[in-house]
Amino acid sequence: MDTVYGNRKSVSNPRESLIVYVLRQQRVPHLKRCTSRRCGWSGREASVLSRAVVVACLAVTALPQVADGQAAAEESYPDRSTCPEPLELLVERRLAESQDLESGSRLSVAALPDSEGCPAIVAGVYEPEADPSELARDRRRVFLHLPDLADLAGREDEVDRFSVLLKDPGEADAVAARIGALMPGTRALGGTEVAARASTTFEVVRRFHRAIGLITITAGGVFLACIMTLKVQERRSQVAALRLVGISNRTLLSWLMLEAALVSAIGGLLGIGIGRLASSTINAWYQRVYATTLEFSIVTRETVAIGLVLAVVLGLVAGGVGAVRLLQVDALEEVGR
Amino acid sequence: MLIFRYSARELLRHPARSLLAVLGVAVACAMLLDMLMLGGGLNASFRSLLTSAGYELRVSPAGTLPFDTGATIADADGVRSRLEAEPAVDAVAPVLGSNLLIEGDAPDRLFVLGVDPAEQGIYRLTSGRDPHDGGVVIGRELSDAGLSIGDSISLRAPGSFAEAGRRTGRFRVTGVAEFLYASSGERSAAVALPTLARLTDQPDRASLMMVRLTEGQNPDSVAAALRLRHPELEIASVGQLVETAARRLSYFRQLAAILGTVSLVVTTLLIGTIMAISINDRYGTIAALRAIGISKRSIVAAFLVESLLLCLLAAGVGLGLGLVVAEQLERILSDFPGLPSAIRFFVFEPDRLAWAAAGVLLAGVGAALVPAIRAMNAPIAATLHREEP
Repeated sequence: MDTVYGNRKSVSNPRESLIVYVLRQQRVPHLKRCTSRRCGWSGREASVLSRAVVVACLAVTALPQVADGQAAAEESYPDRSTCPEPLELLVERRLAESQDLESGSRLSVAALPDSEGCPAIVAGVYEPEADPSELARDRRRVFLHLPDLADLAGREDEVDRFSVLLKDPGEADAVAARIGALMPGTRALGGTEVAARASTTFEVVRRFHRAIGLITITAGGVFLACIMTLKVQERRSQVAALRLVGISNRTLLSWLMLEAALVSAIGGLLGIGIGRLASSTINAWYQRVYATTLEFSIVTRETVAIGLVLAVVLGLVAGGVGAVRLLQVDALEEVGR
Repeated sequence: MLIFRYSARELLRHPARSLLAVLGVAVACAMLLDMLMLGGGLNASFRSLLTSAGYELRVSPAGTLPFDTGATIADADGVRSRLEAEPAVDAVAPVLGSNLLIEGDAPDRLFVLGVDPAEQGIYRLTSGRDPHDGGVVIGRELSDAGLSIGDSISLRAPGSFAEAGRRTGRFRVTGVAEFLYASSGERSAAVALPTLARLTDQPDRASLMMVRLTEGQNPDSVAAALRLRHPELEIASVGQLVETAARRLSYFRQLAAILGTVSLVVTTLLIGTIMAISINDRYGTIAALRAIGISKRSIVAAFLVESLLLCLLAAGVGLGLGLVVAEQLERILSDFPGLPSAIRFFVFEPDRLAWAAAGVLLAGVGAALVPAIRAMNAPIAATLHREEP
C-alpha cells in the first residue's frame, strides 16, 4: 500500500496540527513512528478506522528543493494555483540546522524533483524522538498537514497506513485479524507484530553482539585462567616452604584461592571502570556523529554483576586448579630445586 | 636448530601453561581474522554484487538512492534516450519497482520489477525465458512455493477497490530467475516495464536506470559529467554507491576495528605475561648460559623462537577457528533486514588470513622481546649468586 495518511481533525496545538504523510515509503511499511501523543490523539474514545492517524517520512527527493528554494521569493512560482495555501512545515531540528532554517523561513517544497515547487513557510522546528532504526538512513523529515501533502503529491484520499487506537489494547491481534478479513488487499498488524518487525534489525544486532560477547568471554576466560595459573605457580617455593613448616594444605589452598579471588575481583572492578569509560566515550562519539540523544552503550547493574561474578568465578576456578596441582608436588623436592 | 629445540623443550616442560597460552592466543587470533573479514567484507561484497550485472552507473531521482524511496524518474523514455546518446554510454536498462498483490484466497504481497528484457541487470534466468508482454519471471521463493513455468497468476496493484479491475493483470510464468538484489525471503518477480507501468498507473516512469559504459571509461568521471548535464537525476558510480552503503553500515567496520585491536592487545598481553614469567623462572639458567659464553643474541633468539612457536601453534588453531566462527556469525547477520541476500558480511580472502597470522606473530614476538632483553641485561654474577640453590 503506497500511501499518505493522517489525522484530519484540527487540534489546537500547532505542533499536533501539522500531521505528516508522505510519499510512498518504500516496500516495507513502518508503523512505529505514530504515537498517540505525536499524532495529537485523545486516547479514550476509540473507534476502529475513524481515528486513523499516521506518520511517514517525506521523500528524500524533496530535500534539494527545500534547500535550493530557501531564498526564493514567492514570485519564483509562476503558477501557484495548484499549491495548497498556506503550506506550513514542521522541520526536524537536524534539517533546520543543516539548511539554516528557523520558524518563519520561506522555502520551496515539491513532492518529486521534477515537479514544480510550492512556496511554504516553516511553522516550527521539532526534535524527533530518538529512533535507532532511523540512525543510518540519514533521512531528514518535515511534517505537513495531511491534506496539503495529498494535494502536493496528487494523491487525494490516499493513505499509506492507519494507526488504530483500540479500547482494549489486549485485543490488538484479534482486531487486526478481523480488519484483514474485512479489507482484502490490506494488511493489518497488531502492535506486537509491528514492534517485532520494527525491531528486526536490532534483534539481529543483539544476536550478533551476544555471539561476539561469547567469544570475548571465552578469550577473557582463557586469559584469566592462564594468568591465575602462572600467578599460583610463582608461589611454588613459598608454598613448599610453608608446607614444610607445618602449615596445612587446607590453609594454603584457602590462602591461594583467596588471593586468586582478590586479584580477579580487583581486575574485574578495573575492567568495569574501563568499560564505563569506554561506554561514555562511545556514547559521546556516536551522539556527536549522528546528532542524536540516543544512548548507544549502557552499562547496566546486570552487566556489572555478570562481569564481576564471571571474573571472580573464573579466577577462583583457575586459581583453585593451579593451587591443587601445586599442593600435590613434593615440598622437599620443590625447595631443593 | 639448537635454539629451536631448546625453545620447543621449554614449551613442553610446562604443558598446561603452554596449552592455555595457545588457547588464549588462538581465540584472539580467531577474533582478529573475523574482524578483518568483517572490516573489508561488506565493501568487497557490495562491489562484487553491484558490478556483477555489468552496469557501472545507477541513475535515480535526484536526492535518492536506488529504491530508497518510492520516487520515480519522470519522462523515463526521454531520459533513457538522452543517456544513450551520451558517447560514454553503451546501454541503459530502466527498471520500475512496485509492490503488487498476488490474487488468490489469501492475497499476498510480491515485489515486482518492470524491466526491458533486452537490457536488464536485475535478475539471472535459471530456466525459461524473459518476460515479454503477458509474461512474468518469478524468483526462487515463488518457485519453491509451487509455481512453475507455464502457470498463470493474477497480479493486482494496490489502490481503490473500484478500480481493481483496471489494476489487475493475468500473467503466465515464462521463467525462473535469481534476483540479484532481493533480500532474504523477499518474493520477487519481473514483468515487462510497460506492463507494470500500466498496471500501477505510472506511465513513462522508472524507479532506476542502470547504465553500462563503453570500454575504458572511468565511471566516477562519467558520473560527475552526467550529473552536471542532468541535475534532475542522481547519478552514482558503483564505487560511490559502495561508499554510501559503507557509511550506512559503518557500525560494523568500527566494531571490527575495535575488536581487532582488542584481539591484538590480548595477544600481546598474554604472550608478554607468559614470557615474562617464563623468563623470570629462568634467570639462573640465562646467567649460567651467558657465563659459559653463549651470546646474548642467541639467548634472545631462543626466547623469540619460543614465543614464535607458541604463536604459530595458536595461529594454526585460531585461523581455523576463525573461519568456523565467521560462518556462524554470517548466519546470524544474514537475517539483517533490507540487504540483498547476496551480500556477505564476512568475506574470506587469503590476504586477510595472512594479515591475521602476521598480526598475531608480530604481537607475540614483540611482547616477548621486552622481558628477553631485560633478562639479558641482568648482571651475571649477582644473578648466579641469587639463584644458587
